[in-house]
Order: sequence, then structure tokens, then C-alpha cells
Amino acid sequence: MVPAYVLIAPAILAAGVFLYVPIVFSGYWSFTEYSGLGAAKWVGLGNYTELLGDADFRKALFNTFVFVLLGMGIGPVLGLLSALLLNQSARLRGFFRAAYFIPVMTSLVVVATIWKIMLQEEGIINQILSVFGVPARSWLDGTTTALPSVVATSIWQGFGFETVVFLAALQSIPRDYYDAARVDGAGYWQQVRHITLPSLRPTIMFVYIIGIIGSFQVFDQIFVMTAGGPINSTRTLVFDLYERFNRLNLGEASAVAYVLLAILATLSYVQIFLFERRR
Amino acid sequence: MTTATIPRANGAPPTPGRRKRPRHPVRRTLLYATLIGTSLLMVGPFYWALSTSFKPSADVFASPPKWIPDPWTLGNYKDVFTLLPFGRYFLNSVIVTGSIVGLNVVFDTAAAYAFAKLRFPGRNLLFFLLLVTLMVPFQVNLIPLYRIMVKLHEISPALGVNTYSAMILPGAIQVFGIFLMRQFIASIPDEILESARMDGASEFRILRSVIFPLAAPGMATLAIFTFLGAWNDFLWPLIVTNTDAVRTLPVGLALLARKNTVNWGDTMAGTALVAAPMILVFLLLQRRFIEGLTAGSVKG
Repeated sequence: MVPAYVLIAPAILAAGVFLYVPIVFSGYWSFTEYSGLGAAKWVGLGNYTELLGDADFRKALFNTFVFVLLGMGIGPVLGLLSALLLNQSARLRGFFRAAYFIPVMTSLVVVATIWKIMLQEEGIINQILSVFGVPARSWLDGTTTALPSVVATSIWQGFGFETVVFLAALQSIPRDYYDAARVDGAGYWQQVRHITLPSLRPTIMFVYIIGIIGSFQVFDQIFVMTAGGPINSTRTLVFDLYERFNRLNLGEASAVAYVLLAILATLSYVQIFLFERRR
Repeated sequence: MTTATIPRANGAPPTPGRRKRPRHPVRRTLLYATLIGTSLLMVGPFYWALSTSFKPSADVFASPPKWIPDPWTLGNYKDVFTLLPFGRYFLNSVIVTGSIVGLNVVFDTAAAYAFAKLRFPGRNLLFFLLLVTLMVPFQVNLIPLYRIMVKLHEISPALGVNTYSAMILPGAIQVFGIFLMRQFIASIPDEILESARMDGASEFRILRSVIFPLAAPGMATLAIFTFLGAWNDFLWPLIVTNTDAVRTLPVGLALLARKNTVNWGDTMAGTALVAAPMILVFLLLQRRFIEGLTAGSVKG
């Protein structure tokens, strides 16, 4: 019994100091005005009402939802399609899988830096697009193009992960299912619809849960590619938090963190609920 | 004609597990064209970054694009090392990541062993309290963690903000790692542990001589997982450091990319330096990496 407590002591201690204490404190500070110097001053719901009316925060909230919806609407679908394709190739599958996976391994800062230079007005993307007659533009400097560009970069980075996860799941579906379906005369897409997709349900859930949680926390790409601009058009929740933190508005920054927590907790609850019901 | 596009002949017996291979040559060509096209899309940007890093600044945006640098130069790499202490960043990244990986492998596994195989009052409650924290995004802890590190630095200048400890300590133990290892250790038969106990081995002895060797594949997965997260971590090292002496590679590169909008060749050289070690390690340990990163996705 005693050895057990010794074995878990470091973990429990770390969780207490680095997880539980911070969670409680940021909750408390979200109800205070606090700069890190001096004492925190209780303001009740002041920070939250302040945020509700704050144009920067509202824009950040809106952009974050756009980022999540666009990214999650497109990314996993592409990953699944690509996994279906890869699953058909007997040869070189390992090679393709590795090629797709390289961006997943690379730091987001690296990925964002590379895409930032490719998206410049004189950059390679415009040069390639000009072949198809698309006029050059400065993708990251336009209020309507900056956020989609960051989304595209993020989809590109996550594509390999989604592909590989879906591919692994596809390969674990028993072949007999397909053989039986073929005997019954089912075509390729019928097999996908009636065998593949139902079998993949847990994997699809997994990819979306991981993806949505990660997407709501988007920061690195924004920091490197646009710094929230132009005119707040790529400001996201975590970037908003970061800026308030930098301005020593620790109370408001904590409130932003708790809004993020509330959104993710709600979504997790909805996802678990949906998942349990479907089973 | 068919054999021209598909090098390996049809003589080999069909391998089990490979299904629905399109037999029609046109479809097969289309399939491989798509796969190769996608691969180019995934690898191309890295090639472009590498190629740009060897170009003189006048050629970075040359039109038509120069796919192969001509003339080529090492000037960008020289610049990067004079602009920023990249060697220092690299060393910092190695120290921080190495420490985090080592600590997690030992302490996560130790805790996981207790939670998986030992009975003690409060076990389920404590494990539950650990798991709950997985729901909380890191940003919620960010500000208090920063304050803790500031306080720690006031107590001892060797600790807290702007020291390695600030980057290492909060990541030293991961709940997800404990969870992963617990699953793994649960599959080790109790009889092995019992017979070790009969021989008079203490729990620590069992951990070292039985669990560590048997759980080694799980620990490798954990190490890879942790390595990637720590090596690529950005927000926390960005916030908790403000001197080059302790900054890690991603932070150094991000600051370079933000500052240096004039000479993109320099930035691409920095990018190549940050990306190359990781990509090389990945290509060497590909299978392990892919399995490690997707661990738990299929079987839960």
C-alpha cells in the first residue's frame, strides 16, 4: 500500500501544483481585475460582461468558430477520401503514408513559416495560380483571404494524421464483410456507405473530437502568419487571450480561458451524448 | 503496356489484406496519379523551403520560379547563425525535450503501474481526478502557471521564468501518458508480478526489473508521443522565456519569421534547420512514429 502511494506521489503532486491549483486560480482571477502586481480586485462578472461587449473578443469568438467549422468540415473528409484511395494501392503504400505524414511531424511554426512565404504576393502559390489565369493577390493581407489561408495551412498540416488514422481503421475492417457484400452484388460506393462508414464510426468520432479540441486552441499559425490581422480578421480566442495577457489584463485573459473551457466542455458533453446514443 | 506503368509483375499471389485493387489499367493509372500528386502537395512545400534557403535574396521570388537554386549560396545559413543563436536554440530544445521525455517515461510508467496493478484506498478516485484534467485545455492553466513560475524565480533565480525548469516542470508528467501506460501495463499477466513478489522483490524492484522491460514498447510509444509534443511546443515556451539563453527552436524561428520580412531566404534557412532533424528522425523511425502518434485511435 505504501509503495503504491510513493509510485503515484510525483504524478499526484504534479497534477495538484500544475493542473488543479492553476485551474482554480484562473477561475478566481476571471472574476477579478488583476495585473500580476498587487492584489486581485473582485469585480464579479465584470470581465465576462466586458468581453461580451468587446469587439475584439467577439471577432475572436466568431473567427474561431469559422476556423473550426471550415477546418473540420473539410479536413477529415479529405483525410477519409485519401485513406480510401491509399487503401486501394498495394504498392508503395508505406511510401505515400510517410510522405503524407511529414507535415504532421513538423512543428506548426515551421509549417506556418513555409506557407507564409508561399502565400506572399510574389510567392510560388500565385505563380502557380497565374498559369490558370488567377490574378495574384497578397493572401495574408486581405481581410477575406487571410483566415481561409490559415485554415488551408492547418488542413494541410493535419491531413496526414487523418489519413493515417482512417487508413489504420480501414485495414481493421474484416475482409469477409466486403466479400459478402460483393457476392450480394454491392458496388464500390454501396460498400463504402453500408460497410466502411458504419465500421469507421468510432474512428470518425475520434478524429473529430481530437480535431475540434485542437482547432479551438489554434494559435501558432496565427502568431506566425498574421498576428491576428489584418484588422482582426484572423484574431482567434487563444490569440485574444495571449494579447490580453501581454497587456497584463490577467483577469480578462482568465475569463477568455474560461469561455474556451466552457465551449470545449459543452462540446465534449454533446459528443459523448451523441456517441453513446448512437451505439 | 500495363507493365510499363506498374513495375511489379502480376505473377505474385495476392497478399491478404489488400483488397479492391482496381484491375483496370486506366483506373490504376488515375489512382497512382492522384496519390503521387497528393504526395507532391505534401512534400513540395518542404522542397520549396529547402530550395529557397539556398537562393540569393534576388532569386527568392524569381519569375518564373527557380525550382533549383541557380546560382546557389550558403549565405542565408551564415546569416541565420549571425542573426540568431541557432546552435543555442537547438541545444535548448534538446535539453528541454530530453528532460521532459525522460521524466515522463519514468514517472508516468511508475504511476501507471500503481494504478493498473496495485490496490490501495483512493485508487479509483485519484485516477478519476487525474483523468478529469484531460478535459481542461492548457490555456486555462497558462496564466496561473506563469505566475507560479514568476514566484518560483523570486524564491530561487535558478528556477522559474527564463530557466529550463519553467519549460520542463509543467510537462514532466502527463495524465495522458499515465492513461496510455496503464492500458499497456494492464495487459501484463498478474502471475509474473506474483512470482516476483514471492521471490521477495519490492514494488520498486518489480517496477524496475519486470514492468520496465515488459512495458518497453509502450514506453517507446510514450517517448515518441512526448518527444513530438515537447519538441514542437510553442505557446508555453514563448510565454515563459524572454532570453535567447533558454529559448527553444520553434520560438526562435517564430520570432525570426515575424521580424524578418525582408530576406525570406534567411527565414527559409532557419526553417530548414528546425525542420530537418525532426524529418530525419521521422524517416528513420517511421513506423514507430506513425504507430505512436495514432496510438489508441483504432482500438481506443
